Amino acid sequence: MDKETMIAELVKMVGRDNVLSSAMYFKLYEYDASLNRSQPDCIVLTESTEQVAQVVKFAHANRIPLIARGTGTNLSGGSVAVQGGISLVLTKMNKILDLDIENQRVVVQPGIITLDLKNELAKHGYLYQPDPASEKVTTIGGNFGENAGGPHCLKYGVTSNHVLGAEVVLDNGEVIRVGGKALDNPGFDLLGILGASEGTLGIVTEATLRIVPKAEAIKTMLCIFDSIEDGGNTVTAIIGEGMIPATLEMMDNLTIKAVEEAYHVGFPLDAAAILIVELDGLKDGMDRLTERILAICRQHKVREIRVAKDQAERDKIWAGRKGAFGAVGRLRPNYLVNDGTVPRTRLPETLAKVVEIGKKYRLPIANVFHAGDGNLHPLILFDERDKDELARVHAAATEIMEVCAAMGGTISGEHGIGLEKMHGMAMVFSEKDMAAMRQVKAAFDPLNLLNPGKVLPESEKAA
Amino acid sequence: MSEMELVSKLSGIVGETNVLHDPDRLSAFAVDGVVPRAVVSPGSVEEVAKLMAFATAEKLGIIPRGNGTKMGAGGIPRKLDVVLSMLRINRITEHDVPNLSLSVQTGLTLAEVQKKLAATGKGSFLPLDPPYTDKATIGGIIATNGSGPRRYLYNTARDLLLGIKAVLPSGDIVAFGGRTVKNVSGYDMTKLLVGSWGALGVITEITTKLLPLPEASATLLTSFDDLAKAVALTRKVLHSVLLPSAMELLDGKAAARIGEQGRYLVAFSLEGVVEAVERQLGEIGEMATREGAVATKTLKADDDRTFWVGIRDFALAADSAVILRANFPIAKLAELLALYEKAAQAAGIECAFIGHAGNGILHCYSADAAKTGAFAELIGQFTAEAAKREGNLVVEAAPRSLKEKVSVWGQPRSDTVVARRLKEKIDPAGVLTPGRFVGGI
Repeated sequence: MDKETMIAELVKMVGRDNVLSSAMYFKLYEYDASLNRSQPDCIVLTESTEQVAQVVKFAHANRIPLIARGTGTNLSGGSVAVQGGISLVLTKMNKILDLDIENQRVVVQPGIITLDLKNELAKHGYLYQPDPASEKVTTIGGNFGENAGGPHCLKYGVTSNHVLGAEVVLDNGEVIRVGGKALDNPGFDLLGILGASEGTLGIVTEATLRIVPKAEAIKTMLCIFDSIEDGGNTVTAIIGEGMIPATLEMMDNLTIKAVEEAYHVGFPLDAAAILIVELDGLKDGMDRLTERILAICRQHKVREIRVAKDQAERDKIWAGRKGAFGAVGRLRPNYLVNDGTVPRTRLPETLAKVVEIGKKYRLPIANVFHAGDGNLHPLILFDERDKDELARVHAAATEIMEVCAAMGGTISGEHGIGLEKMHGMAMVFSEKDMAAMRQVKAAFDPLNLLNPGKVLPESEKAA
Repeated sequence: MSEMELVSKLSGIVGETNVLHDPDRLSAFAVDGVVPRAVVSPGSVEEVAKLMAFATAEKLGIIPRGNGTKMGAGGIPRKLDVVLSMLRINRITEHDVPNLSLSVQTGLTLAEVQKKLAATGKGSFLPLDPPYTDKATIGGIIATNGSGPRRYLYNTARDLLLGIKAVLPSGDIVAFGGRTVKNVSGYDMTKLLVGSWGALGVITEITTKLLPLPEASATLLTSFDDLAKAVALTRKVLHSVLLPSAMELLDGKAAARIGEQGRYLVAFSLEGVVEAVERQLGEIGEMATREGAVATKTLKADDDRTFWVGIRDFALAADSAVILRANFPIAKLAELLALYEKAAQAAGIECAFIGHAGNGILHCYSADAAKTGAFAELIGQFTAEAAKREGNLVVEAAPRSLKEKVSVWGQPRSDTVVARRLKEKIDPAGVLTPGRFVGGI
């Protein structure tokens, strides 16, 4: 089908204002937060499930690739239209449909910004647990499609542990429901497989989330270390002592400096590592647990400990952590963030290898990591105009993935495979494992129209 | 294929001593009265792979089995040639103590796993407490997403598992997930296999998160004369900052059966640091009194443990031939239980009810299986009432005569269309548990 006919047809479904097809818009929608770029043939904003179903049905009938998109914050190229086609933007579908406090559920449209939802819930004393650092700009649809994590996953799990139901538009435009407000619906856990499927299996048009009352007490500690090993060993020791804090977050000196310059949150510029420990739950016994954690820090040569006295101090600490990517981004024109994850006990040796890789490829690497769950985020800084440097960046990123896989970990903890890490899939999966995943893809999307060319590399046979 | 030929082929894969084909002994492995032609006990994952490849080539009907505690569930099998016993595949393959993770093969019982975990280092546990405390195997629990009262705090296997290994019908040995809490590499096949009832693959090994053993634990029992008051207490606790690990509601018949008093009993399991356990005992006790509890009681140490084993294994103690499980939005518990009690009484069927009050799950246990006609009608009523409230109902155990008259998986859902496509892709010959899963898959 030629482009003009396609656009005319789509305008009939969603209205002229909701179809974008100028060169400027193509430029705006050609990228996400990764390094990949590719332009869609047409951008469509939908306002209802019916419209989504209509557009998907049209794409199916005409064999047009289709890629669902929220605010485009994807870190692995998942929202880039590598095969052109329709970029289906869901940001207009951003309403809370049913705030059901009584049943501890909220039903939302996929385009709602995560933090907007959380702010609304807070008015009722309720909380949606997942807290990706990008929650200010990301959408729930994107969080679910990528199975986003965040600092609090150590204790509370990732997005898919909190999404209990969804309305899904299938490849052919058929609308189904999976899960729901009730738990344990009979049948395969299709909701489970849809989480982290990166828009390749179906399009979520409505999500039912678990919400919980806010914790009674929170204690946030900022622990400053002169060596990154001491920080890492502290993490292992805390969990070894039988305590599972809500978060155990670390950052290295390069990150600390960048954050301090950008936000002035009071991080010491010469610290080798900062560890943020947060406890939450009932107030009873929390002071005793805090003391135990501080004692462990001291055993591991902590230089200084600051315990947040109030919400303002806590907010300041978290502003530093959640703004880390942005702050580091100011240091060089570009950064590539790795997302490898290792069993937490292997974290110190993995970090040492990351430092070596940085030296080998002559690249500055800033490290921010969810230490409690072994999720590293080495941020490789560079200038993409320097082609030699860019080549070294890709080589270094691949080597970091190899290191994480060799440590018994995985190549992506929470940012997704997308385009960027597809070549790393074989580091953690056999051809048979991937063949089984391809069968799942074929069951949901036999024509391979939904976000084609992502997640699963072509099979060896085909290549 | 003749019986002799089948037995000889199976023996070729697992060894003669691991193939059971004596007709007298096979009847113990019948599923809904369908007797298998053989029972095989592979000793390795490679043998399972060979068996599955053979089954697919010959289009045999295969049902994987642990200790058989779930064989009463599911639809009547369309065919059954071979029962695949997983009991010899039972090693702990890796216990990473500081990482709080465990990899274990699926033929081991959960009880054995817990014993080993408690005795290693500072002690940890796998926070699952499904029925059949001593018998349930890891494989059976994972394949059925089995859960118990403490899911209120710890959630279910779907949320705990980090990775899974399985043998697909093709004979392919596959591994998904890994050993880390966060992992979005490829599709989340682990979740697809958890609760799949063996219909997509034979689960051979899991990797799971562990939790440190709690510092302290205790149970608070509160008795009520009135359902509304009992449920009001659970709702107050649900919406408070308090964090019990379990919150169970029992009707009078269920309470009496495990030796407790009250027309309705609400039991709270409290675990964690000493200070928090003590405070919650006090605070929930006071809340209960305010809501009109007629009695409260605290259980500690052995009494605490025994009580929860009694709840988990209620079906055994009550000799329940029929077990039903309704799921629904949490706040519908009171009205649904009241309706169920009334309907059961009208039908003249004696039922005991136990519910996870904080999760929207209600179990009904009955020994009155002989009243097939009336019971089938009652199940229909129960299912319709749950479905009306965005819920559903699954028959977890029932004699074949009753299964023939009801829909054991409740009302059909719109997602069955995809489930069917998945089954056709992964198990094109339809060898795994044919006919037993949702939608006759």
